[in-house]
Amino acid sequence: METPTYNTAFAELEELVAQIEDKDIQLDTLAEKVKRAKELIKYCEEKLRGIERDIEEVG
Amino acid sequence: MPTPKKLSELVNEIDATIRNRFVGQAFWIKAEITDVKKQPDKRWCFLKFIEKDRNLITTEMGGVFWSNSYNQMENFEAATRQQFASGLEITCLVKVVFHKRFGMRLEVMEIDFAYEVGKLENERKQILERLVKEGIAVNPEGSSRYYTQNNTLEMPMVFERIALIASANTDGYRDFRKVIENNKYGYHFSVTDFSTQIQGDAASALIVERLHSIYKLKEQFDIVVIVRGGGSDTDFKSFNDFELAKAVALFPVPILTGIGHDRNTSITDLMARQHKTPTEVATFVIDYNGDFENAVMQLHDRILVTSERLIDRARRSLDTYKRIIASSSPETIMNRGFAIIRSNGKIVVDAKDIAVGAEIETIMKQDTILSTVTQKQDNGNTNI
Repeated sequence: METPTYNTAFAELEELVAQIEDKDIQLDTLAEKVKRAKELIKYCEEKLRGIERDIEEVG
Repeated sequence: MPTPKKLSELVNEIDATIRNRFVGQAFWIKAEITDVKKQPDKRWCFLKFIEKDRNLITTEMGGVFWSNSYNQMENFEAATRQQFASGLEITCLVKVVFHKRFGMRLEVMEIDFAYEVGKLENERKQILERLVKEGIAVNPEGSSRYYTQNNTLEMPMVFERIALIASANTDGYRDFRKVIENNKYGYHFSVTDFSTQIQGDAASALIVERLHSIYKLKEQFDIVVIVRGGGSDTDFKSFNDFELAKAVALFPVPILTGIGHDRNTSITDLMARQHKTPTEVATFVIDYNGDFENAVMQLHDRILVTSERLIDRARRSLDTYKRIIASSSPETIMNRGFAIIRSNGKIVVDAKDIAVGAEIETIMKQDTILSTVTQKQDNGNTNI
């Protein structure tokens, strides 16, 4: 995964969640979307932790 | 030749004549003074009254303040904020006295300070008018303020590098240094001395010279401070000098004054930013930096609070999505007892796509069951 900004990663995640919640989703693609969503969540969480750590250092 | 008189006989006669003419009388005179010799310990002051025709002294008479009128001279100095010194023209009440040994003198009873104060006030007014007329200062109608290039300069955010014009080893100098060096915040300042005499006739020209020296290094200073304080309250005159006022008004680095007086504002003060005393200038400088630090600290706090809030919000959104994703994943679905049916490598959603006799894979959580379809049956409308 290239390094998107928090905002682009989060926007992609929102889009994926909307697709997954759609009742017409094809099961074929579900697993793939879930996998991608999990990656994005992990990425966003790490990014958040990093940002928080940086802010704490400044504080 | 008649018998010669003794000296004392003649002098007695002179004394008697003068007494006859002048005893019990006093006269208001206006004259220039010179050769002023003060004896503060005895509270005497000797001087000469003179009158000139162009530069030639045409009339001269010794004068004296004895201790009973010595305070008149002190009051004059206090009221006019200048030294009682040679070159002044004063209006005063005198008695003519004759002493058999020391000759004739004018004994000063009283000085008319109002005359001198009025004269100084007039001079001051003329200088201010000239500054306005020459475009050096702007005095809005009805305002007592004078706006100059200097006192409208934008101040730096913090003061750190100070050029100090003062007379070293005076109270004013020490007061300023002491407050700056012992400030409660522990700020460090770089103070560069531009020492000069700050009283007396030459003072204004010397201060202008110091300003020229600072001008050459103007990039190196945030502010210029001119202080004077302690000691004599007199000799305020140098700060009402036109050339000094002009140099201050046009100076490209903000000038703060603490010339140590509270009754009067000099023209130099009006051209710059005035504070009453050296201590007050120093306090202002420190508090100015303190205000900046407070503002920075408040911003810092706001940044922390805001970013914590943003992070919290982001984390809550992520947590929500995490739950949605977790409950939507195939593993979770299979954990609940659902299975995926695949035929010919494709997921089958509709039983119509499978014929009786076809081989299908039923994918469950752990294992996959391989089976052959033997029969198909309509579920009717019953929901599972």
